[in-house]
Amino acid sequence: MHPFQYQRAESGDQAVAVVAKNPDAAFIAGGTSQVDLLKEGVHQPSLLVDVAGLPLRQITDFEGGVRIGANATNTEAAYYPAIQARYPAVSEALLAGASVQIRNMATMAGNPLQRTRCPYFRDLDQPCNKRTPGSGCAAIGGYNHVHALFGASAACVATHPSDLAVALSALDARVQTTGPRGSRTIAFPDLHRLPGTTPHLDTVLEHGELITSIDLPAFAGRSHYLKVRERASYAYALASCAVALEMDGAKIKRARIALGGVAHKPWRATPAEALLAGQQPTEKLFQAAAAAAFADAKPLEHNAYKIPMGRNLLVRALLETSGLQPLQGPAGTAFAASVGGMAGQVATPN
Amino acid sequence: MHNLVSALQPGDTVPNGPLPDGSTLFERRGRPIILAFAPTEWDPAQAHQSAIFARLSQEFGSGVAFAEAAPEAWHSLDYRGELAIHLGVAGQRALLLLDEEGVLRWKTVVEPGQDIRPGQVLAALQALRPEPLDAPDLAAASTEVLTGGMSRRTFVMATLAAAALLALPSVVAAAPETALPSPPPTDNRSAMLPVELNINGKSHRLQLDPRTALLDALRENLHLTGTKKGCDHGQCGACTVHLDGHSALSCLTLAVMAQGKAITTIEGLAKGDTLHPVQAAFIKHDAFQCGYCTPGQIMSASALLADQHTRHGSAVEIREAMSGNLCRCAAYPNIIAAIQEAQRA
Repeated sequence: MHPFQYQRAESGDQAVAVVAKNPDAAFIAGGTSQVDLLKEGVHQPSLLVDVAGLPLRQITDFEGGVRIGANATNTEAAYYPAIQARYPAVSEALLAGASVQIRNMATMAGNPLQRTRCPYFRDLDQPCNKRTPGSGCAAIGGYNHVHALFGASAACVATHPSDLAVALSALDARVQTTGPRGSRTIAFPDLHRLPGTTPHLDTVLEHGELITSIDLPAFAGRSHYLKVRERASYAYALASCAVALEMDGAKIKRARIALGGVAHKPWRATPAEALLAGQQPTEKLFQAAAAAAFADAKPLEHNAYKIPMGRNLLVRALLETSGLQPLQGPAGTAFAASVGGMAGQVATPN
Repeated sequence: MHNLVSALQPGDTVPNGPLPDGSTLFERRGRPIILAFAPTEWDPAQAHQSAIFARLSQEFGSGVAFAEAAPEAWHSLDYRGELAIHLGVAGQRALLLLDEEGVLRWKTVVEPGQDIRPGQVLAALQALRPEPLDAPDLAAASTEVLTGGMSRRTFVMATLAAAALLALPSVVAAAPETALPSPPPTDNRSAMLPVELNINGKSHRLQLDPRTALLDALRENLHLTGTKKGCDHGQCGACTVHLDGHSALSCLTLAVMAQGKAITTIEGLAKGDTLHPVQAAFIKHDAFQCGYCTPGQIMSASALLADQHTRHGSAVEIREAMSGNLCRCAAYPNIIAAIQEAQRA
């Protein structure tokens, strides 16, 4: 592990000031992803500023929605009654991710900031433009079964690993930050960026910009998260999707869909969203929407399986969210979010 | 034999024994020797004793004629190795100083779960010190025999050994009056930090490199070896502890960030001789085979049963909540049965 100095933040402003003036400094909070990257030598900050002690842990009702403090743990947010009841996609994404221990440690601001699980990113002996800009991409000509279908570039085909981020994108959550140039609000779908020629930048956050809360806007519809993985539990998504549906009588007033595991950021399926608006939910409609969602997919050598997998997953998520098919477990739990494995083994309460 | 050697006291002639380089203690006579016994699985995040020693000997001994020879006197040895057993310090972190005659001059053992206090080391140094020395004396150091039968060379070796011992990560902060120069931070190391950890209801003060994971602080510095290192990357759950009552991975927790939290390890779960219900149920249901993952399994299971969201879970919900704890022996059915039994308790 590269040596670093450690400092406990005295306040948000102080933490921002310290990190902003040192290009090699980084924030640390839950540490679940950061400490692993330190051990791997992928991250080599010279200074870690510990923001875990800052008073940013409250979850509160806010403007008809919910304000989630940056330091709330994944467990605290997943079981927060208003989130589990009104934003089940968020609880499902959280509880279908990682393990209990990691959810107890990981923070809500840290989760969407975790780095890609592209194996080449973590292998210091391989070229990786995300880790070492200009070194090349080993995944493009390598084993790319977990890589991107959308929005990739000649420099990077990595995907974003967070389940939570997919749900927050579909719900148009807002990210509150404080940074060297003051405070701002970022629409969640704009937080992460596409790789382009600068894949080392995962988000639009400036160096030294600190997330203070994630706000869920008022929402009266249904939401749901569904995920396929290689194990029944404790595994990243091969493909996932989050659906937020608002109904107008028997018709869909507005649908929002974010796809996970297929791009450098949660991928909003806007063609599918447009196709669903104003329509009566049917399986046929959902199949058309799923086809539209993946129409522009550009598979690599080993990841074309994600196209039919993603389409089927989206059809199922739409059927379950709209109520045409039952959830495979209680809403707001890992069992509702899972495909195969333990899904269907826990009764859904009537 | 073991009892005899374990009673070695300063002033005793140390029996012969093999060194890792193939030589023997007797062959090394004529020069002082420092024998340092420690676990070989030293975490790379912590500086190795011999590296500390080499650095200190450079700084402490700048201008001292035989500073270059000093590292030769230092032998880092496996505390489970042949010589450790032979000298009666097996399984213990220990420093032994032998003089030119092969006589034990100084011995310090770090008992499991304990720290060396600077005072102990300084007292040992004072006892060894033949007469006041100042820097010019050190600079002129030779094999000249001082009063008390100890050469300057041996004394300087002892001082260096003590300095190295004080710099060991497990040791409480050296008092300022030790007058050991605190080395300036350089590019290849992190500055040591005072860290206070509350573990199983007891407070521990340590000096740690900020890179030290809580897991390594528990095992290497505090000798609380019940918490296991499996993957060291958050994938296996063997290192699970409780932080403020919630299960957490000690391998992904920087020790310095665990300050102010109530840390519970497997050693702190039982109440005296009364096992925690999960521990008792694991025994009853034979919920392990090799046992390596067991402390982590039990820490996860006991946290699960203390949590209102998971304590009443069905078998499949227990499986989901325990998915962060792997068992290579696949004792899963018995683990689930044990947790269900503890659920009913």
